[in-house]
Amino acid sequence: MDEPMNDAPGAQVKVTFTTNEVDLQLPEEKRQLLVPADIRRYGLSRILNSDLMLDSGSIPFDFLVNGSFLRSSLEDYLNSEGLSLETNLTLQYVRSLIPPVFEASFEHDDWVSSVDVLTSTSPAGRWSGDSFSRGQERVLSASYDGLLRIWNASGEVLVTSPSASHGGHSASIKAAKFISSTQLASTGMDRSVRVWKYTEPGASGQAELKPTLELYGHRASVDSLEVHGPSKRILTASADGSVALWSTSKSSSPEADASLLPNAHTSKRRKITSSITTPQRGPLFLMQVHNAPATAAIFDPRDHTVGYSISQDHTVKTLDLTTGTVVANLTLSHSLLSLCAIPRSNGTTLLAVGTSARHITIVDPHASAATTSVMTLRGHTNKVVALAANPENEYSLVSGSHDGTCRIWDLRSVRPASGGEMTEGGMGNVSEPVYVFERESRQGKKKAVAGEGAKVFGVVWDKELGILSGGEDKKVQVNRGRDVVRE
Amino acid sequence: MKSKPVEKKRKARDEESDSESDDELGNGLFDGVLEASEDEEDYIPSDEIDDGDSESEVSDGSEDAEEEDEDALLSDEIPSDDDMGKLSKGAEELEITEPGVDPKPKHQEEEDRNYKVVKDANGGERYVYDEIDPVYDSDDSDAQGPVNTIGDIPLTFYDSYPHIGYDINGKKIMRPATGDALQSLLDTIEVPKGWTGLTDVNTGNPLNLTQEELELVRRVQHGLVPDEGYDPYPDTVEWFTSKQETMPLSAAPEPKRRFLPSKNEAKQVMKLVRAIREGRILPYKPPEEREREEEEKEEVQFDLWQDEEPAAPNPMHIPAPKLPPPGYEMSYNPPEEYLPTKEEREEWEKTDPEDREKEFLPQKFNSLRKVPAWGTLVKERFERCMDLYLAPRVRKNRLNIDPNSLLPKLPSPAELKPFPTVVQTIFRGHEGTVRSVAIDPTGVALATGGSDGTVRVWELLTGRQVWSVKLSSEDPVYTVRWRPTKDAFILAASAGEDVFLMVPTHSSVTPTLDQASRDVLAAGFGYATNGQQPATAPGKEPAGKWARPGTKLEDAGVLVRVTVRSAVKVITWHRRGDHFATVSPEGQRSSVAIHTLSKHLTQIPFRKLHGLAQTVVFHPLKPLFFVATMRTVRCYDLQKVELVKIVQPGAKWISSLDIHSGGDHLIVGSYDRRLLWHDLDLSNRPHKTMRFHPKAIRAVRYHKGGLPLFADASDDGTLQIFYGKVPNDQLESPTIVPVKQLKGHKVVNQVGVVDIDWHPREPWCVSAGADGTARLWM
Repeated sequence: MDEPMNDAPGAQVKVTFTTNEVDLQLPEEKRQLLVPADIRRYGLSRILNSDLMLDSGSIPFDFLVNGSFLRSSLEDYLNSEGLSLETNLTLQYVRSLIPPVFEASFEHDDWVSSVDVLTSTSPAGRWSGDSFSRGQERVLSASYDGLLRIWNASGEVLVTSPSASHGGHSASIKAAKFISSTQLASTGMDRSVRVWKYTEPGASGQAELKPTLELYGHRASVDSLEVHGPSKRILTASADGSVALWSTSKSSSPEADASLLPNAHTSKRRKITSSITTPQRGPLFLMQVHNAPATAAIFDPRDHTVGYSISQDHTVKTLDLTTGTVVANLTLSHSLLSLCAIPRSNGTTLLAVGTSARHITIVDPHASAATTSVMTLRGHTNKVVALAANPENEYSLVSGSHDGTCRIWDLRSVRPASGGEMTEGGMGNVSEPVYVFERESRQGKKKAVAGEGAKVFGVVWDKELGILSGGEDKKVQVNRGRDVVRE
Repeated sequence: MKSKPVEKKRKARDEESDSESDDELGNGLFDGVLEASEDEEDYIPSDEIDDGDSESEVSDGSEDAEEEDEDALLSDEIPSDDDMGKLSKGAEELEITEPGVDPKPKHQEEEDRNYKVVKDANGGERYVYDEIDPVYDSDDSDAQGPVNTIGDIPLTFYDSYPHIGYDINGKKIMRPATGDALQSLLDTIEVPKGWTGLTDVNTGNPLNLTQEELELVRRVQHGLVPDEGYDPYPDTVEWFTSKQETMPLSAAPEPKRRFLPSKNEAKQVMKLVRAIREGRILPYKPPEEREREEEEKEEVQFDLWQDEEPAAPNPMHIPAPKLPPPGYEMSYNPPEEYLPTKEEREEWEKTDPEDREKEFLPQKFNSLRKVPAWGTLVKERFERCMDLYLAPRVRKNRLNIDPNSLLPKLPSPAELKPFPTVVQTIFRGHEGTVRSVAIDPTGVALATGGSDGTVRVWELLTGRQVWSVKLSSEDPVYTVRWRPTKDAFILAASAGEDVFLMVPTHSSVTPTLDQASRDVLAAGFGYATNGQQPATAPGKEPAGKWARPGTKLEDAGVLVRVTVRSAVKVITWHRRGDHFATVSPEGQRSSVAIHTLSKHLTQIPFRKLHGLAQTVVFHPLKPLFFVATMRTVRCYDLQKVELVKIVQPGAKWISSLDIHSGGDHLIVGSYDRRLLWHDLDLSNRPHKTMRFHPKAIRAVRYHKGGLPLFADASDDGTLQIFYGKVPNDQLESPTIVPVKQLKGHKVVNQVGVVDIDWHPREPWCVSAGADGTARLWM
């Protein structure tokens, strides 16, 4: 330590601060600065927050140098890059990501396949508008035991969906989503999509969850479900390769195909007699667009008449949901398992696609084929089966994988792909995860082979509740997700 | 008659010895005459003479007189002249000298001395020694005849004299008789008929021989038979002939050799024939012709160097290294800085001559003429010569080959992606070994069968068990196989002797599909009840009994049970899903059975099998059926019911077999650790043999969804993934590259990975391990 002190007691590096954040722009004359060479992120952040600079108080900043985050002192960085101290460094400062600290776990009886939240900032909360009251944050979890559970933010089960004999799912639920503060939809391996009416615990004290509609149309397990509240539409993707668009309203739905109803053939099977009769309807459109299991389908975040679906047949299809036709087709090189949309501020939408080849590909569904694959996110060691975009910005997302980890990615931190990564189908730029967090239940244990016992099946990122993930460890894990929160 | 000549001869000898002691006068002449007379006497009675002295003369005496002359003429020049004279005189003196008295007695006292004392010119005594008379066979070669002492002068000087010179004793050497004189003498002598010039010893008369006697002598002399009438070469008289005699000389039966061709002769003849054939015996040619031919042969000359090109200088020649050119320090007048300082000089002198850097010290001289001679020149030259002689300047030809270049060019595994690399899902639930895995044709569900007697169906990606049934409490489920069509959802599993067909209906199977599957299974019961089952011999167990397995299993979805004669280890479906084949290795002749699902019919296609059947597989396109016994794979045509081909992998015990979806390639796994790739069009022998496992290979499987992959599962707990591209062009051979070894399964009781299956579309495979897990690799 003494040597650099003797060597350059006052070694200084000339840095130029830039940013993309509109509200944190520095005046032109303050952007260039001489800083000590051994300064680190914290010091730089302090300088930026000081009175002379931004006078912003205490916003933690991260600094991007040449597309990667500064993790060491400036001097070390320059040494590792082989640059001299005289180099003029351009530091892009961004609001710092705070590690997603573990906050709570919600225990289940069986594997948790999907999680959703209802808060004022979640889509369902926004769609409900005024009917959603503050402090009414809810967590919806779908489990492999065929039950839906609704939790309050402190981790108490408010209501559990009825069993199969009382109008519930007859098999594992694979996906569930809030449509509004009073309505939710679920689907699963019993091929049915169910719409539920949720009643908040009122004066009587008991919350209620009643099935209002059963939708039949898929011929195999339904793996993904997406809802759009205002238009009352549900989009599902099934293992039979079909994507279906449904309506939540009984009246606007066509009749269901009788052969697909569970009691269609009563010949020698034990009937699962339900005490509650729920109206059974069919899909608005059933699009047989894939020739392998379709694994996810979503609405375009800006235009609910456009949908995207992915499948194990390696394709991403853009669907016109008004006519039920395929508009665009994009073929990647691996089986695709999960999908989320990242709305960009410039009006376009990026799709993050999780693959069986353990990486996430960011594609632009609108661009021509040559530039579709924008970026590859590498780091997972198993299939990426869940993705959720950060609701607060357009450059970060969280992914859940069968390797038992969730990873947070920052699309701003990129580097060009090396040769070996190019051949593996990764195109364009490559990014590494910013944060990795494992299942809390596995803490301290040895890492499981193939993520056994720790697989993550569903993940959601909410502005208020943070990152919620459900998995094979029968828990919904809540991690702090307010990384860019402005105080 | 004989005694007389002997006596006479004795007398003559006595006289002779007297004459020998005679003085030198006339000695030379008389000697010859005496001898000649002696010869004549000795002629006839030669056999009786035992005296050694005269023996030598006998041979000469046997000659004719003329011949004797010739001999004498040849032997000596000068004495021959005397002989001529003697001859003539001898005949006359024969009578004269014999009775004659010699003057020998006068010199009796001087007989002992062989010299005479004479007075020389000065009056002093002079001893004159007798002439030493060498006897005929004396060793004295010096004794020449009278030698002419006249010196080197022409003989013409003596033409006018009767003599031609003087001998050593000063006696005249008389001129020999000339030819004319001799001839005239001979002419004067009338030779009577039959004259021999010899005396008959018996009668004393001159010996005359008749013409017959002379002829006899001549014949004897010529070595002929003396008798003139004797014919030494008379014509043969054929006493024994091949002709059949009317009265044969012998009554013995004719020997076999007379009429049997001689083997020995045949051998000899064959030897000759062979020699002629081989050119060892050549037909006769006159010597001159042969010589000419040989000359012609010799004339063929080859130009050894006609094709020679100027060669490069000998590559082995390496010139001796050049001496470095002299530098400034070698100059007689180097610059000052090259001159050694005092310390340097001392140090140089101190060091051993061998350790010195330089063998000289620079020195400065005013002029070149002051430079002394180089003291160590000879030593240096010698050392350099020694260096040249001892240093082995041989260019070593090292084999400079990059070992990597010898390896065959294989594409790098990274270029051959995708293929499974890591385990992504573990299916845990079976107790004991997972015996079999199968992914359903849609690629969503995985079926496993285990030693615990259960069949389980799993969601492939998540590893969630969605269905299970316990088929048997004792027997393990050896194999599970999906019916390979998508119109129904039927799983076949074997436990013990039973094959169960089931519809593992979990909730994501639509009722329609479920019902369709049930209908497929139930269709055959109509056949059974209609009695269309082939009649089996009474008392003989039918090949397969089709029945419902009982309500408990039926409620779980197991709808049909087929019982065959012995435990089923392998089930293989035909691609259309109406037939499936089972193998029960212990089942002897009924080990292979083909079942028809739509008719609930079981047939045993082979009356006899060569060896224990291990596994079977249907050809993916043609009506062919492959049966693997322990050592061979037999291909049968099911339509024509005939054996098409026998493939011999060379393995000792085949464990598993799979056929490429193109139908032309076969992989065979064996318990003796080998994986064999066969090109069925090419050969019955393996195209490629791979040994990648230290333990037995239990299962091999091609990817059936269009990816060029295949894999094997081994008892060492690993799977080996291969890239195996079958080219469209039939002429090219398939590319086979091992790309990945998948490790993860634990070995339990020396059993590792038991079964393997590929996903129908993706490069994913599932393995069943003895550690109770199935694993999905992707």
